Amino acid sequence: MIRYTLLLILSLLSANAGRSYPSGTNYKTDVYSDQVVMESPYYVNIFDKIQISSVGPDTLKTATFNSETMDTAEKAITTVRYIFFIKGDSRWLKRINYSEKSIVLINSLIAAIIISIATMIILLVIILLNRKRLEKEELLHQYLLEKYQSLIINYLFGYTSPEEFSSIASDTYRRQVLIDQMIDVSINLKGDESKKLISLYKLLSLDKDSIAKAHNRRWHKKIKGFRELAFMNIKDANVAIYKALNSSNEILRMEAQIALVILSDDNPFEFLSHLNSHFSLWEQITLHELIIQHNIPLPSFQKWLTSANPTVIIFALRMIREFKQKESEDNVRETLMHPDPSVRYLAVQVAGDLDMRSTLETLKHMYKNQDYKISLEIIKSMGKMPDISMMGFLKLVLDKEEDVQLQIEATKAIRNNGEEGVKALVKLMESEYKNYNIIIKHVLDRRIF
Amino acid sequence: MFFILTLVLSGSYLILGIFSAMALRKHLRKNSYVNYNSLVLSPLSPKISIIAPAFNESKTIIDNVRTLLSLYYNNFEVILVNDGSTDNTFEKIKEEYELTKVNYYFDYHIPCERIRGIYKSKNPSYNRLIVIDKKNGGKADSLNAGINICQSSLFISIDADSIIETDSILKLVKPFLEEKDRKVIGAGGVIRIVNSCDVERGHIREIHLPGQMLPRLQVLEYTRAFLLGRMAWSQLDGLMLISGAMGIFDRETVIKGGGYSIKTVGEDMELVLRMRRRMAEEGVKYEVTYIPDPLCWTQVPSDVKSLYTQRTRWTRGLVESLWTHRKIFFNKTYGRLGLLGYPYWFFFEWLAPLIAFSGFIYSIYLVVTNAINWPFYLLLFLFVYTFAVSLSIWAILFEEITYHKYKKKRDVLKLLIAALLEPFFYPMHTYFAVRGNLEALRGKKGWGKAERKGFEKKKKRVRQPSARKSEE
Repeated sequence: MIRYTLLLILSLLSANAGRSYPSGTNYKTDVYSDQVVMESPYYVNIFDKIQISSVGPDTLKTATFNSETMDTAEKAITTVRYIFFIKGDSRWLKRINYSEKSIVLINSLIAAIIISIATMIILLVIILLNRKRLEKEELLHQYLLEKYQSLIINYLFGYTSPEEFSSIASDTYRRQVLIDQMIDVSINLKGDESKKLISLYKLLSLDKDSIAKAHNRRWHKKIKGFRELAFMNIKDANVAIYKALNSSNEILRMEAQIALVILSDDNPFEFLSHLNSHFSLWEQITLHELIIQHNIPLPSFQKWLTSANPTVIIFALRMIREFKQKESEDNVRETLMHPDPSVRYLAVQVAGDLDMRSTLETLKHMYKNQDYKISLEIIKSMGKMPDISMMGFLKLVLDKEEDVQLQIEATKAIRNNGEEGVKALVKLMESEYKNYNIIIKHVLDRRIF
Repeated sequence: MFFILTLVLSGSYLILGIFSAMALRKHLRKNSYVNYNSLVLSPLSPKISIIAPAFNESKTIIDNVRTLLSLYYNNFEVILVNDGSTDNTFEKIKEEYELTKVNYYFDYHIPCERIRGIYKSKNPSYNRLIVIDKKNGGKADSLNAGINICQSSLFISIDADSIIETDSILKLVKPFLEEKDRKVIGAGGVIRIVNSCDVERGHIREIHLPGQMLPRLQVLEYTRAFLLGRMAWSQLDGLMLISGAMGIFDRETVIKGGGYSIKTVGEDMELVLRMRRRMAEEGVKYEVTYIPDPLCWTQVPSDVKSLYTQRTRWTRGLVESLWTHRKIFFNKTYGRLGLLGYPYWFFFEWLAPLIAFSGFIYSIYLVVTNAINWPFYLLLFLFVYTFAVSLSIWAILFEEITYHKYKKKRDVLKLLIAALLEPFFYPMHTYFAVRGNLEALRGKKGWGKAERKGFEKKKKRVRQPSARKSEE
């Protein structure tokens, strides 16, 4: 709001800046306006045209027309001149007495005002029309959805023939609604019904629409195509989907991954071996949800623990943890030494989550040389796989470390050793060497987790 | 020269509008393919802490905490910070959520006022809730206390008097999950106005346009700021502000930067500036992102007095933040922030009202001395007026084609009328800004006082001022 005030004020200041010119500048406006009258290109051009056209073959008709046209043209020019001070002899303009640039300035202002008002009116019309369009579209969409849904269900139960669809799906919009509805219905279908729906989809050549979309130049069309093909299990555009795997557009890339996982029969995760780009956590979460929802057969994810792409290793580690692939223990242990700290961090976490006790010694040895985040995770993991042999190390951490979080996690890890651990903590509480009470009370308070 | 400046200002709005339109289109298109449900139950989702400072919020606190606890996300905790309330805010919370003091050991990573106690619920249904009871120190200080307590890598700071959309965490966390070569250090979203909306038990049941003129004008202002301004600045990597009403931050970056500053009332802007400055100085690739989705609803002042308090405070915050980080001004070390974002805020947000005010004085002088050129004045007034109104109508159009929150046709008409009237309120805002500058010069501290009546309808709808409150 302040900025508009500034606009106004700046304008005002500029307006009155003109007042500071000496009164003698009046004549400049007049001289300038005279020049405009004498040399106006509008007059010359229009008269030239009239004269040329009046010498045409149908003289009478043309003359009448020209006379009328001339009147109209003159009126129009006069109107424009009155709105825009082209002639410069307006009394109003003279009163403004701005500067020698007044005509340009004033005309610009008038033009800006007219443009603004026109914009306002156009936007207003767009807003109102958009409302109407939305309402209409919503109604039509709802109507078509309901109609198509009952038709599809009737078809699946054998009450409707495919011909009825071909007459409905006559235009692009309706075909799209039909595809969307088929996808909605297909989610709850299995076995023969699903096959029947897919055959109807092909029979109505809707698959060609989806393939065309998958090959479309625009990314959002491609995505629509990928999704439809994946739902309908049509593999004819897999090449186009593969191409999108390393796209710089993350949404397109992710949709390509999803489509390939669904459409690949033998090795749905093969794309991971060819993935060069960053595999974001968002993509990983989406893929994980897809595996669960679609019951995708799981590969042994340890295969990707040696990938050159650290984000693929991270995904593999996560999947090993989520699907409890404990047979990967040896490979996970190796990733503890990975040069990428994010891989090491997750490997430590996974080792703890899957109770991979063979990693304990490695964890203990690597503790000192890691950054804070990994060190903390090592202690947390030790807490997840309690082992009496680690108690000495954990007490040392509690004693030597200054960081509160490290102290808390070390205490928790000691506590997790059951009776032995609690005994050790009680002994520490009694210790006069250092006051551990507050930390141990925190850890033993079961309401804090 | 003044005329050129006017044109530059108008041109900058148009350019920002174009950038914003492009970015919004891209965002909406991408968002239409996003399935946020994957995040809701995913065990891979990162843990988030929501920090909500509360000072004398007894009228709304129960519902607001309930709203926070019912957000869609599986891995989060709510840290409510009672900032030494002098009413019964803490007692109400303690009773409603069956709180008991726990032995909580933590480190003061960032200095904050003394924490008197940390409470958790005896009822396992509320195990996500942690309540901090501390000595009053203001909003920034409470946020710092919350940061000290929370253990997640990301935290969301909110105003306890705001209403949060149930899917807001999902949307806020997404930029962090999409992080690639640039570290995401913070993200903010669109703040909407809750005045006159039907609110029930901390949730919005029906959205209405504010019935009173002042809040309605602020609807226009917020729409312009969030859908036209911030969206564009986010695209230009010049975003300097994540609204204090709701924002998500990388905890580690905030702690390393020293947390929220308690020396300014513009702690939200100051934090973003400080984090950005630090990242740039360390040569770390980073980004501050913006989500143009409505995530949070807040009450805005509905009377001139409250509006005055809020706006003067905003100006003070702006002056303090800009002054603290003046090193950024036209400094290429800070990239677009230094060369574009900061200068824009300096000239058009801070300096503009001062120039405008001097212009008013000069105009009055010209009128008094009968030296004003009325026809030309009228022409210029029409120019600025029509431009301002058309810009507001652009913002209404953006709202219409994007989120379409006001469903009734008459709401749009009311907004259009508000757009036509809004320019006549500019002098008032200029005055508030000048007063804010004077207060900043005098070194005034504190938030100012405003009374809260709560979200629930008394008779029909609630129209009550907001503003975070703390001890003067």
